[in-house]
Amino acid sequence: MPELSYREAVRDAMSTAMRRDDDVFIMGEDIAEMGGSMGVTQGMLEEFGPERVRNTPISEMAIVGAGIGAAIAGMRPIVEIMYQDFTTLAMEQIVSQAAKHRYMSGGQIKVPLTIRTQGGAGWSPGAQHAQQLEAWFVHVPGLKVVFPSTPEDVRGLLWSSIYEDNPIVFFEHRTLYGIKGEVPDEIQPIEIGKARIHREGEDVTVVATGRLVHESLNAAEQAGEEGISVEVFDPRTLQPLDEDALIASVKKTNRAVVAHEAVTRMGWGAEVAAIVQEKAFDYLDAPIARVGARFAPIPFSPVMEEWVVPHAKDVLAAIKKTVGKE
Amino acid sequence: MSSQVTLPRLGQGMETGTIVRWLKSEGESVEKGEALYELDTEKVTQEVEAEASGVLLKILAGEGEEIEVGKPIAVIGEQGEDVPEGEDVTDGEAAPEGEAEDPTEVSEDDAQEEGSPAPAREDERERGREEAPEGPSEPEPSVESTNGGRIKASPLARRIARERGIELSALRGTGPDGRIVAEDVERASASGALSAAPAAAGRAPSGEVEVVKLNQMRKTIARRMTEAWEAPAFQISISADMTASIRLREALLAQVKEGGVRPTYSDILTKVVALALMRHRDVNAHFAGDSVKLFPTANIGIAVAIPHGLVVPVIPGCEQLTIPEIAAARADIVSRTREGKLRAEDLDGGTFTISNLGMYGVERFTAVLNPPQAGILAVGAIEERAVVLDGDFEIQPRMDMTLTIDHRSVDGATASGFLATVKSFLEEPGLAL
Repeated sequence: MPELSYREAVRDAMSTAMRRDDDVFIMGEDIAEMGGSMGVTQGMLEEFGPERVRNTPISEMAIVGAGIGAAIAGMRPIVEIMYQDFTTLAMEQIVSQAAKHRYMSGGQIKVPLTIRTQGGAGWSPGAQHAQQLEAWFVHVPGLKVVFPSTPEDVRGLLWSSIYEDNPIVFFEHRTLYGIKGEVPDEIQPIEIGKARIHREGEDVTVVATGRLVHESLNAAEQAGEEGISVEVFDPRTLQPLDEDALIASVKKTNRAVVAHEAVTRMGWGAEVAAIVQEKAFDYLDAPIARVGARFAPIPFSPVMEEWVVPHAKDVLAAIKKTVGKE
Repeated sequence: MSSQVTLPRLGQGMETGTIVRWLKSEGESVEKGEALYELDTEKVTQEVEAEASGVLLKILAGEGEEIEVGKPIAVIGEQGEDVPEGEDVTDGEAAPEGEAEDPTEVSEDDAQEEGSPAPAREDERERGREEAPEGPSEPEPSVESTNGGRIKASPLARRIARERGIELSALRGTGPDGRIVAEDVERASASGALSAAPAAAGRAPSGEVEVVKLNQMRKTIARRMTEAWEAPAFQISISADMTASIRLREALLAQVKEGGVRPTYSDILTKVVALALMRHRDVNAHFAGDSVKLFPTANIGIAVAIPHGLVVPVIPGCEQLTIPEIAAARADIVSRTREGKLRAEDLDGGTFTISNLGMYGVERFTAVLNPPQAGILAVGAIEERAVVLDGDFEIQPRMDMTLTIDHRSVDGATASGFLATVKSFLEEPGLAL
């Protein structure tokens, strides 16, 4: 099996779809000649030309709005918002237009739009370029929210997102672009709403997203050395959530930790905890623990940033607390 | 202005109740004081009266539902009035427990009159914590630890304990902050010591097994009888010549007025036992762990069989009552028991219990303690027996009595002294004077 970086896997999904299908095109700030600020779209202008690899003005509202229009008209656009912090500028288009048209038209209009965006801390981008805002989007009916953590998953899920008839907010994590992983020779679509268990365990389920999947695997490794068997559960899709797999896992381990880089307060993990206690209350042997950023803007200072956002050691501490081996 | 009907606390220790039957339906008008529903508490099924007049706008708690004390169960208001939002029994936040006990929460329209049940009983309950003898209604031991707090246990631990019949209060938690976790229950289960019932590995019977769910009363009986089993009890028996008591009863019957209650041997026995208890106060007692409570008055519980169960209503102050008064009180309480109209206070405060199976022809039997009471007297039938007297046989009406006594507080000699006194009073009632 070939090995791809997370960045190459994203590009491969888009390029393969564009080769196969004229309806697919990409649009965003500096994605053409520059190849995107994170280098994801490098070489795509040369292969597909300026009609299908389109630079846009610096207006997130316009980028998403144009994408919605093209999607309604029958295209399968992939628009890129350079930093997820900037999705705030396009909120009206995402929340009140993209998410609503199919419902309000009684199904006559579809919006097969993929909004790719990236973000996250770990490289000192500062408070305005480091946020994790997935909780804002999982709160909106009409949107599907995807957050893959490996090259294989990001490729398979981006493919499924492009061919999904509903708008997708597709999160990539800045610090994951460089990680490498084996991928199937041919793109294997991954069903939206299906979780993946990265590591099986008996004592506690760590539900983790994005970068925290890797931090959790690291923590699980360390916990294993102390005799704690950790299951690492990556939902991959935050909305819809694979509740069946989640509940099955917690019923097996009887304990749960939820880990994400976003702040815990009102975070996606709070919803997971609520679902788990609702559906597996009698199976829980400990309170559900949450791991996430402290409730503060992400500092620019690397030392402070390190302190604010969670890492493997934080996940490990939560694991130990949950299994009663503090 | 509508008012919420909340589940009342009808006795000390009552935490939940089950609505057996609504006696009014939605839309029907209700007078204050009219019976509104039948309530099954741990101890008794009784009718509960409406505390406000109006129209029963909405029933929030269905029949068969188990409700916590203080939770709203219905709304009474004026015809056509809307039921306010949020009045839903499932919505715990809308009506926190104890709301009905807070006078500031009661609107002017349905302000409690002095002496109406809820606040009065609440007072009673407060007093009861200090001095009243504990009735057969302590809260579930599984949620009560020795220091009176709730037992900390994970939901999983609770479920496993429930499924295997393990008492959580007997376990020590090893989880964070002393929480009982599944492992603690598993360990106890493996040791087998605390398991209530080992699964019977019998042959499957032909035909269908009928599974009868325990009602509140049955659960209470099961729990309390199991508790009673923990007491190191012993039994002593004695037989009494009932000739004089029979004569006494005939004299009492001759005095009964038209429509009056006819005294029974049980009534004579109740009086005799009460007087004997006054002379042997150690037997008129509760065992309370680190102390023994001796009561100044004989509140005698009478075991009364009802369909599928048993209750022990109490006649207070029997040593002060005449036998006809005891008969009247007994007749009232037994008929109310059988009609399901017992009040919670009828069951509280017993200091000693009498269980009589003589009417079934039972000659003698042993009774199980009614904790925390120190003693219970099991009484058989009066029957003619041949008795050897001065080298000759004599036929006498005899009655056997077996006293079960809690050895933690009463010893054999004390118990024997009490029983001998009962015997002497039955054989020569004048001695009781």
